[in-house]
Amino acid sequence: MTTVINANVSSQKSWFKWVRDNLFSSVAGTIQTFAFAALVVVVLRWLLGVAFAEKNDWTAVATNMRLLVSYNYPLSQFIRIWVAAGVLLVCAAASLGAWRFDPALTVKRMARTFYSVAVVAALCALLMPSSAPGVLVRTLWLVSTVLAIAGFAASAVASKRNNLTVSFGALLTSSVVGLLAILWFVPFGNYGVVGGSPFANPGDTVARSTKEPWTVIFTLVLFTFWASRALGTKTVAIVRSALLAFWLVGPAFLIFVVLRDPAFDWQRVWAVDVPLAAGFAFGGGLLVYLLAKPTRSSLARLVGVALSAFAILNWVAGFFGWYGMLQKVRISMLLLAILVLILPAFAGSQSKRLRIAVAWGGFILVLHWLITAINTPSTLVISAPPFLGGFTLTFAISYYVVLASFPLGVLLALARTSDLPLFRMMSTAYIEVFRGVPLITILFLFTVMLPLFLPRGMAVSDLAAVFAGYSIFSAAYLAENVRGGLQSVRQGQYEAANALGLTVFQRTLLIVLPQGLRVSIPNLVGQGIATLKETSLIAIIGGFDLLRIANSTIPNQPQFLGQKRPGLLFIAMVYFILAYTMSKSSQRLERRLDAGRM
Amino acid sequence: MSSTKPNDNTGQSPRRNMITCRGVKKWFGDFQALKGVDLDVGEQEVVVVLGPSGSGKSTLIRCINRLEVHQEGIIEVDGVELTNDLRNIEKIRSEVGMVFQLFNLFPHLSVLDNITLGPIWVRKKARVEAEKTAMELLERVGIPEQAAKFPGQLSGGQQQRVAIARALAMEPKIMLFDEPTSALDPEMIAEVLDVMRDLARRGMTMVIVTHEMGFAREVADRLVFMESGEIVEVGTTEQFFSAPREERTKKFLSQIL
Ligand SMILES: Nc1ncnc2c1ncn2[C@@H]1O[C@H](COP(=O)(O)OP(=O)(O)OP(=O)(O)O)[C@@H](O)[C@H]1O
Ligand SMILES: [Mg+2]
Repeated sequence: MTTVINANVSSQKSWFKWVRDNLFSSVAGTIQTFAFAALVVVVLRWLLGVAFAEKNDWTAVATNMRLLVSYNYPLSQFIRIWVAAGVLLVCAAASLGAWRFDPALTVKRMARTFYSVAVVAALCALLMPSSAPGVLVRTLWLVSTVLAIAGFAASAVASKRNNLTVSFGALLTSSVVGLLAILWFVPFGNYGVVGGSPFANPGDTVARSTKEPWTVIFTLVLFTFWASRALGTKTVAIVRSALLAFWLVGPAFLIFVVLRDPAFDWQRVWAVDVPLAAGFAFGGGLLVYLLAKPTRSSLARLVGVALSAFAILNWVAGFFGWYGMLQKVRISMLLLAILVLILPAFAGSQSKRLRIAVAWGGFILVLHWLITAINTPSTLVISAPPFLGGFTLTFAISYYVVLASFPLGVLLALARTSDLPLFRMMSTAYIEVFRGVPLITILFLFTVMLPLFLPRGMAVSDLAAVFAGYSIFSAAYLAENVRGGLQSVRQGQYEAANALGLTVFQRTLLIVLPQGLRVSIPNLVGQGIATLKETSLIAIIGGFDLLRIANSTIPNQPQFLGQKRPGLLFIAMVYFILAYTMSKSSQRLERRLDAGRM
Repeated sequence: MSSTKPNDNTGQSPRRNMITCRGVKKWFGDFQALKGVDLDVGEQEVVVVLGPSGSGKSTLIRCINRLEVHQEGIIEVDGVELTNDLRNIEKIRSEVGMVFQLFNLFPHLSVLDNITLGPIWVRKKARVEAEKTAMELLERVGIPEQAAKFPGQLSGGQQQRVAIARALAMEPKIMLFDEPTSALDPEMIAEVLDVMRDLARRGMTMVIVTHEMGFAREVADRLVFMESGEIVEVGTTEQFFSAPREERTKKFLSQIL
């Protein structure tokens, strides 16, 4: 909806004019407006009636908040959850700062948002059924009043200085301060479970064990945001690469090391794991450094082919049990072979070679550490088996499925559009097969059937099976979305790249993919949202995700017997907020990439 | 085949051959676009290719850097024969710059990145060095102030000049131009032709397909006239315009001049 407001007219008048021009400009328009308003009132009234009916007990949600966030995670170790959440949020803030996230928030638009939310809040307060908790109705009135005043103030300011904008940092800071104030002073009530018995103190503010960690986290968030914004151009480049690396492996580290707390057998670590990691990191790094010299590209190809043959042999041998080998050696070998194979495309000056070698070394060290940690037993004592559940499970699965299916899907899309018939056929077969099978079937297949097919000694946990099955499924859809984008890249781009003498690999990486992926952004984000929502299928195969907890765990608790509605409405809201945020950020990303370009 | 064979169909003094085409034939399906083309281009020579639409001019110069693959005959570039060997092709392409009618700049990269892409990834130059050369080239084509912009923010003439700078950044031995000014508004044609004129003066070996007759007469060492996939006539500029030998050339010139 666009409104053209004359800067010289006072805001009241312009609002009046806007309402007249857009809502009551004709008889038909007026009827439409009233009909729509009536519909909104009826639907909202119905929704609120459903949500706050007499028989709904919202303390079921409030009491079980910890269950919804992290399922059975032991309370004594809960600090680990806070640390994980804190690290994620702080890194998010650092990323916003380091990438100079600063959308142009005009005061005029903010005023409009304030007014709209104020109207919605007031409407909700008015239409609340009498069974709704009084504190909620009072809060809604309060929010409505505060926002109406804020909106009035903002539009008064905007009418004087038309294009006044507010920096994102200022907005973030004031929001955080506001949130913390609400957390500390608004009596939402204190609910929870201690030692198996639930308690409820409706008049209190939120528990201190909740308030204090949030306060620490948010303070750090603000600090990191402003600090990373203040970085100079030299340092910010380093910080950006560090943050990218974090977003790749950070969440896995948080899940498997921070949350799971592996009980390392240090003797074995020093005797086996450290030498292996060091060998691959330094030996591989040296090899890469030597072979990345432009004059040695034929040698690099030769070594790459030999390494690949050896790496593939290791996997085949592992599958048939010919000779034993640590899984991480197989993985590292394969990765090194792939790197050496594509190395000629990245060959260059000495500093560039050094960078590639160092990146490889760092990557291998982190990878080995993660694999070792994942394969080490956990120290946690958990009453029911899965250590991940609730929101942490939903987040972990959807995040890594999106991350893993992305490269796989891109490769499939490239294969499907390639000139080589064999690649095309294989990719088409993969895509058609996995798109033709329902996700739930694949998840069952992977958790129930996969262990039966695997050779002895190659066990996978349910979590890994779900992750693998879901990623493979998701990649098939992603490939089709990316293919659409790739096909939009014009022939002239290929010709220009060829005319410069780029290799096919370089052309794909530097010219075709960046352009093709940009076109695919809306579809890719749509798929990301679908992935997030469909993690709820994990409930069916035995995982304790948000849906399972709301739909069966909570309603089976003796004190909340049959209380499904509040939990389901609550998780619906959580899903909606996440999906809406993703959708909004994709629109912003598109606009930013489009700005000033063809 | 010797690549230093002198031109036999003109009175040119023999120079080292940069491009040699012998009996080049090219089919698109059943349609024969090149019907046995012989052409020599010497070092530092400027050859302009003329001909009616559909005569195979673009096809010919696209065969020279193997954007199109010819089926019969031989093409040698700087003494190296074009074969299916991939590394051979990439090497030749990196030594032959090409400028397209529709610019074909990379829209997702800034002007500077468009120009440094080849030197960094193909020539394996360090970024700093590549950027320095790129700025010098932008200076030369007259738009150093546009370095940070994206192609979509430039005028057609500016885009084509960036495209020329991008090709030159590879330090090519030969430049191919396929109707570089045909997609430009009249007021921008001159600025692109100026850049090309300057290149010719500096001794670049060039093959140019163009309909700009005045420009052709001015810069060309030799002119080639093509029709329906064949070279009808090759001659020095003077001879070509004042005393064309072939009937078909005369007819073409009378239509266009
Ligand atoms: N990819 C292709 N597939 C089929 N036919 C083609 C293809 N490219 C060119 N042709 C045909 O080959 C012939 C020569 O085309 P070419 O583009 O070389 O002509 P041209 O002399 O450059 O013409 P113009 O002045 O219009 O650019 C034309 O008849 C054209 O239709
Ligand atoms: Mg043409």
